[in-house]
Amino acid sequence: MIEIRIHGRGGQGAVIASKLLAMAFFKEGKFVQSFPTFGVERRGAPVAAFVRIDDKQILVRSQIYEPDHIIVLDPTLIDAVDVTQGLKPGGWILINSTQKPEEFGNLKKFKVSVVDASDIAARHRLGSKSHPIVNTAILGAFAKITGLVKIDSVLAAVGEEVPVHPEENMKASKEAYESVVV
Amino acid sequence: MKKVLMGNHAVSYGARLARVEVIAAYPITPQTQIVEELSELCANGELDAKFIKVESEHSAMASCMGSSAAGARAFTATSSQGLALMHELLHFASGSRLPIVLANVNRAMGPGWNIWTEQTDSLAQRDTGWLQFYCENNQEVLDTVIQSFKIAEQLALPVMMVLDAFILSHTYEIVDVPERELIDKFLPPYMPEFKMDVDDPHAFGALVTPDNYYEIRYKMQKSMEKAPQIVTQTGVEYGEIVGRSYDVLETYFCDDAELVLVAAGTLVSNSRAVVQEYRSKGIKLGLLKIRMFRPFPTEQVRKILLHIPKIAVIDRNISFGASGIFFQELKAALYGRDGVSEARIFGFIIGLGGRDVRLQDIAEIVDYALEEEKPKEDIIWMGLKR
Amino acid sequence: MSKVIKFNKESDLPPLVMSLGTTLVNKTGSWRYLRPVYQDKTAPCIEACPASEDIQQYMYLVAKGEFDKAWETLVAENPFPAVCGRVCYHPCELSCNRGEFDQPLAINAVERFIGDHGLERSLEPFKIAADRKEKVAIVGSGPAGLTCAYNLRRLGFKVVVLEKNEKPGGVLQFGIPEYRLPKDILAKEISRLEDFGIEIKTGVEIGKDVSWAALLKYDAVFLALGVHRSRAMDVPGEELDGVISGLEFLSQIARGEKVALGQNVAVIGGGNTAMDAVRTALRLGSKAKIYYRRTRAEMPAIRDEIEEAEREGIEMEFLVTPVRISGENGRVKEMTLQKMELGAPDESGRRRPVPVAGSEYTVTIDNVITAIGEMGDFNFIPEDMLEWGTVKTNHFGQTNIEHVFAGGDIIEQPHTVVHAIGSGKRTAMAIQAYLDHVDPETLVDKISVGFKGGFSFERFNDGQTGDPVDNHQVVHYEQINKNYFTEKPRNEADEQEISAGITTFREVKTTFDAQTVIGEALRCFNCGVCNMCDNCVIFCPDVAIKRREDDYRYEIDYDYCKGCGICVVECPRNALSLIPEGK
Repeated sequence: MIEIRIHGRGGQGAVIASKLLAMAFFKEGKFVQSFPTFGVERRGAPVAAFVRIDDKQILVRSQIYEPDHIIVLDPTLIDAVDVTQGLKPGGWILINSTQKPEEFGNLKKFKVSVVDASDIAARHRLGSKSHPIVNTAILGAFAKITGLVKIDSVLAAVGEEVPVHPEENMKASKEAYESVVV
Repeated sequence: MKKVLMGNHAVSYGARLARVEVIAAYPITPQTQIVEELSELCANGELDAKFIKVESEHSAMASCMGSSAAGARAFTATSSQGLALMHELLHFASGSRLPIVLANVNRAMGPGWNIWTEQTDSLAQRDTGWLQFYCENNQEVLDTVIQSFKIAEQLALPVMMVLDAFILSHTYEIVDVPERELIDKFLPPYMPEFKMDVDDPHAFGALVTPDNYYEIRYKMQKSMEKAPQIVTQTGVEYGEIVGRSYDVLETYFCDDAELVLVAAGTLVSNSRAVVQEYRSKGIKLGLLKIRMFRPFPTEQVRKILLHIPKIAVIDRNISFGASGIFFQELKAALYGRDGVSEARIFGFIIGLGGRDVRLQDIAEIVDYALEEEKPKEDIIWMGLKR
Repeated sequence: MSKVIKFNKESDLPPLVMSLGTTLVNKTGSWRYLRPVYQDKTAPCIEACPASEDIQQYMYLVAKGEFDKAWETLVAENPFPAVCGRVCYHPCELSCNRGEFDQPLAINAVERFIGDHGLERSLEPFKIAADRKEKVAIVGSGPAGLTCAYNLRRLGFKVVVLEKNEKPGGVLQFGIPEYRLPKDILAKEISRLEDFGIEIKTGVEIGKDVSWAALLKYDAVFLALGVHRSRAMDVPGEELDGVISGLEFLSQIARGEKVALGQNVAVIGGGNTAMDAVRTALRLGSKAKIYYRRTRAEMPAIRDEIEEAEREGIEMEFLVTPVRISGENGRVKEMTLQKMELGAPDESGRRRPVPVAGSEYTVTIDNVITAIGEMGDFNFIPEDMLEWGTVKTNHFGQTNIEHVFAGGDIIEQPHTVVHAIGSGKRTAMAIQAYLDHVDPETLVDKISVGFKGGFSFERFNDGQTGDPVDNHQVVHYEQINKNYFTEKPRNEADEQEISAGITTFREVKTTFDAQTVIGEALRCFNCGVCNMCDNCVIFCPDVAIKRREDDYRYEIDYDYCKGCGICVVECPRNALSLIPEGK
């Protein structure tokens, strides 16, 4: 079983990202489960969403305490919350950032990867310039760095599930897939 | 067709497939998306139903009752305090013998204000004359909504189907949504024998004197007693048409079990995983899933548990001054005309107000029950910070 | 009563709490001591209309888009809807209950739309009785004369209208200016009456072409001469060139004659003639000004006309009266005015203007148009028929010669077009009653519309729908269930060409389009008359009310109506009444 935690801020689309990622794995015949942090969500406040993937039916229904991989939609969260909490050794931390992986000094123990998803999203006019919607872009990068899911599955999930500008979202995913820095 | 659906939308899809004709509901966390989706389906014409906006849950149930009395297939959804506000009309709906279906998202009662899952809200309505089903996953949620209508309409009794807040309501997982033609074959249009009709006026719900009230109550109980057989039969029919069968309860490795866990809702799902783990270690652990809580399937439960040496009941609820409610029901079931169970019965309380239940928590329950010859306390509080 | 069903064992009982027998056996009507009845009442607008138009009925029809039927409803009481839709001072709107709620209905504008809609229609279907041998002479072809002729014709009489002027129409033709009432509209409404079989002889003067004695040989006579003489101001200089009476001025313009006005024109008076004269003078290029001896509030002219005149830039000087006109070479040059102040109220209730001593001042002017009142010209009418400058009649218009009737401006009533129409209609009914030897007083109860003196020709003629009617109850604002109405602003017809320095005689007001007229009619409360809103059906807890088989109106099943009165309370428009049972 693979467990993934996605960090974002309320309104950034972390929950949708978790659903899209689950969809992508579902398209490859996996059993999936995705859920938000249980409770109330406020715009701008730190939130998390989760994905479980397995080859057999997923029975466990507890929270995810020791994720295999982490996705961070907003680099400012690195200082606000402990995004690495429970991360299994060898797991990836994928960050939406303009910085280089080595610049995240306090994450040295982990495999860090970055993609400028904000820039990609803004160029594809997803959301607004000040608040780009980065969730679809970063999933493309996730497919690349982990190799767990095919980019075509991600693109298919994005194309089917995103109600507004699906084409542009798919392009953003693809671009992130190609430009992610490992 | 397989989709990735959140539990709340599984409810909506089920209601849509059941071709509900009237929906009256008031939004409450964590039920909101059920109603949101249905109102959208009504608005865009995908569902030919009347969506009645109401000012409270009390009015929601009143609207469902009126619609149902006039012969319409009526549906509502609520949670926690909303269900409690409906309480008076829950009696009224069953007393009127109206086959309304209600989806309740299990949420803790406040205060302390809490929006997370717990079973007390629905279990507190156990004496209102409604059937109650508890769902383990989103597939069962969708399937149960559809079956609920068929069961309710056969018995002329209302049905409450229950799903856990967030753990199902807001969690996406794979759900096979049956083809419309299959459901149409399974569930015929609602054609009540009696309904309000201005061309054939009768008095409904009028005064009944002591001379007849007693018999009316007797008849209602008799209908309830028919429910297990109808539920089983409906679950089989559903399996024949749709490919997934259901029953009033489900056994999991019970035959040779030395200890059987008894649970409902998503606690079953977690327990299943634990049973698999213990069985792989050669430990004779079983699981009894209570799918139908009302009427309580006493006879079926006795058949399975009467000779099991140890039973651990996991309650995500509390009846203050008594104990966990499944625990009480189970003990009552095992003390009967045809004998008394010799089993040691352990009553565990866990996860109130949405406290996360992990696999190791269930494992702890199992270990306790295996280790101790008998419970050290009447109520065993799991994970309590002491 | 119902048969009693005894349940001996539980299996006898139905599966749910319901009666096995039909509840129809339970005739709850026996509980009733008050009975709801549908009862059409009178809307205040109808009561206020001197022509008793069935306003709420045509609003109901307009709201449904049934313009033909709306027109038919209108001409059942008034043969001049296109005229009245333009020139009426619409007292109906002042009485409109909607006025207390938000703004009154634009009844006049709706009437105009419907009147215009029907301009090409025939009146043939409105003849309601076979031809009779009696012949009635009508003197004067103004609104009173022609309305009387129309209604007499409907009743089967032969009618001849004798008109002194070269064209029919009276004040409509020669008094009201083109910009308020285009002549082609008038011509169409009159020719329709001629097509209907009314003979109009123009250029016929009584006492000259037809003698008084010859006139009296008709089976009945209706005198509707109108008033054509302007009242003299009785000030020195009134005979000078350049001093002209308002009525004469307007009739000259109407005839297309050239009237040479100077630059500065003084119009004396505050009534409709004064307004018409001043606005006409403006359009001829003069700087015309009103001089009035009281204040704006006391002006008898229609409010709309005063406001339109103001918007056209007409100046008005109040609390002044001319005391002298002086001239040069026999032509007016100056006018001396005296300031006034308001004293105690006179018999009309208006405060009497009193001269302020030593306040005289003089203005230079080129013309003076006098419009301080009109009088009849009764040269051929015997003295004993007159009183205080009017023809003396009973309230049906009958004079002291029993087969001679009089109406319009020559009798004691307000000088308005719609009052003239009302009087013509009233007298037509009285003439038939006279010729049938029926005392018209016995009809009053049947034909009265409210309590302001209006009579309904439809009711006279039994042309009602058969709905129960309480003519005498006028629905007031308190009786409207306001919960069923929301505020909606009144639609106003656009005005064109209202601006200072206007020179065109084109019609000032535009009309509604079909969508607007329906929207406006939908604002109508339909006071006192069922418009089939279904509220009673919805609210009846006994399901005792249903639509009639013909889908028109409702019927109450009194076997089950227990007299709770909810239908009466929930009727938005008071079209239901509760009456004591057994009475």
